[in-house]
Amino acid sequence: MDTIESIYGTESIMTLQRTELAPLSEYAIETHGLTKAFGSFTAVDHVDLAVRKGEIYGFLGPNGAGKSTTIRMLCTLLKPSSGTAKVAGFNIDSEANEVRKRIGLVSEKLIMYTRLTAEQNLMFFGKLYGIDEVELKSKVEELLDMVKLTPFKDRSVGGFSSGMRQRMNVIRALIHDPEIIFLDEPTTALDPQSTKFVRDTIRDLKKGGHTIILTTHIMEEADELSDRISIIDHGKIMATGTVPGLKNEYGTASMLEVFLKVTGREMRDSASDRVSMKAVGRM
Amino acid sequence: MSGWKVTTEIAKRDLLDLWRAKMLLVFFIMMPLLFMTMFGFIYPPPVQVNPYTGQIPAPYPNLELAIIQQDNGQIARNVEAQFIQIAESQEIFRVNEITDYSTARSGIVKGQLSGIVVIPQGFTAAIQADAQATVQVTVDQTNPSVAAAVQTEVAEIFGAIENQMSTQYLQQNLGPNADSTFVLQPISISNIPLIPGVPTSFEYLAPSFMALTVITGALNGVSTAISREKEQGTMDGLLVAPIPRRSVILGKIVAQTTRGLIQGFLILGLSMLLFGVVIYGSPITMLLVMVLGVASFIGVGIIMTSLAPEQETAQMMTTLLQFPMMFLSGILFPINQLPVIVQYIGKAFPLYYAADALRKVVILNASVNIIMPDLLVLLAYSVVTMAIAVPIFNRAMAR
Repeated sequence: MDTIESIYGTESIMTLQRTELAPLSEYAIETHGLTKAFGSFTAVDHVDLAVRKGEIYGFLGPNGAGKSTTIRMLCTLLKPSSGTAKVAGFNIDSEANEVRKRIGLVSEKLIMYTRLTAEQNLMFFGKLYGIDEVELKSKVEELLDMVKLTPFKDRSVGGFSSGMRQRMNVIRALIHDPEIIFLDEPTTALDPQSTKFVRDTIRDLKKGGHTIILTTHIMEEADELSDRISIIDHGKIMATGTVPGLKNEYGTASMLEVFLKVTGREMRDSASDRVSMKAVGRM
Repeated sequence: MSGWKVTTEIAKRDLLDLWRAKMLLVFFIMMPLLFMTMFGFIYPPPVQVNPYTGQIPAPYPNLELAIIQQDNGQIARNVEAQFIQIAESQEIFRVNEITDYSTARSGIVKGQLSGIVVIPQGFTAAIQADAQATVQVTVDQTNPSVAAAVQTEVAEIFGAIENQMSTQYLQQNLGPNADSTFVLQPISISNIPLIPGVPTSFEYLAPSFMALTVITGALNGVSTAISREKEQGTMDGLLVAPIPRRSVILGKIVAQTTRGLIQGFLILGLSMLLFGVVIYGSPITMLLVMVLGVASFIGVGIIMTSLAPEQETAQMMTTLLQFPMMFLSGILFPINQLPVIVQYIGKAFPLYYAADALRKVVILNASVNIIMPDLLVLLAYSVVTMAIAVPIFNRAMAR
């Protein structure tokens, strides 16, 4: 059976060597030399990733490190400047629609029309995936029930609390039952109850066989949920491994300490970060 | 899911968004109504003969006017009396007899009077010497529309008095059977209108405003709808779905065009109900003109959306385009009043051709063949701007 090493060569997978390499078919996401430049600024610089099917993959990094740009490329929202990536076995550039059918995106922004009701939003997004109307209606009811929002299904999403909005955001991404779910800072600014609910949902999704790519600034969350973690900084992957493996390697019991040892303690407020975020925000 | 189905779903969602924003919906309906009502009353209303009295009502009835008699001769006093009688009986002016000019002038400045008529000294003497006499008229130049009405009405009243005086003079000198009209006006002009009724400014304005509302509504709508979705993040939800990119843009176009057409037909309905505008043309041809008019602007809207980093910039860009277009495309007034170079600029905007075609269809019942040159220009604009816009949009979405 092919291994990622046999395809990409040993040099390009240096960052993956801390963990056991699985056969190619076991990877939900594979990237090789993935790069994105905005003018003279390189936001993502030759990133190699290999995410196994069914795992929760923590993707960490300081502000402007290149997390969101990488996620947006993997979600086919941005075209890479160079390098290749396969998501669910399909090339993100040449087979973008096949990728889109198999992924769900939970962004830190609310991907919901605030004037529409919860049900109208879910029905609309469901129709974009070509789901049969009858099947879709029952799926919407099931998902609303799952996140305890059935009593609010006829209310405008604009009036929802941040916790309710984020629960809506999660189930919108699940409407077509995707294989791979990208969660971009899903618990930012949520109350403890909603945070717990989202985390439990992430665990349930893993149990259901979904692959989860989780970006977060909350190290405790990454520690608690992730099977493996990659830390990106200045557009490059700085470390990859299991949580215990990384803690052991950096000689600390805290994931926060690991993060700070990898990325440094200085505040990230440089001009290059702002350029990066502005360029990403232009999307 | 097929491209067309996705397009209709996106269009339906956009319209549902409007339907659910009740306050916005109220403004959406009120805007064209307010717009048209406002312009309908600013511009002189239609002049129609009263079927019972046979008289043409004054556009601004019972304006306050001062008359100053500086000549106390018999003829001058008779002319003054006749003037007051005609003006007041036909409810054109309420005439105030004032003795000095400075008091009357301050009446205009204070907004109490709309005009002054002075019958100067020597008026009677001039008439008695078979010479032309002069009256002096002063109007409020700060209000051109009322000033023009005062000048026209004063001239018409004096015209009626002059005719009477001339007839008397001719009959005294040529005999009682003399045809005074032959002597005064040997040739008369009879107008045969293209359409029934008396032409009004509003008949010019209604189709133009309709074109303006539909087209700018679609232009604004597409650019702000897309930039708002980009800014709020919902565009990610669309672009991450397995749907053709063109369906996103087409859905927006369909929704915004529908919104524009609803407002356009509201304007037309109101113009018919309140201001007596009659539609002589075919509604299908009108629809064709408006759809092509919208299509000619969509490409521009998409280019602006693609270039603008956020919603506010997109709005600014469309406003910058709209203002000169509104004044130079012959919407508010015919552009042949403008300098030649400015006329060329006006004709560079597709709105000029859309408004021109719509006016011809609505007022003159023009067929598709007649307005074909306008339609071809609009089609050319649509094809060229869309050909430029689509790759720019696709690149912007995948940047």
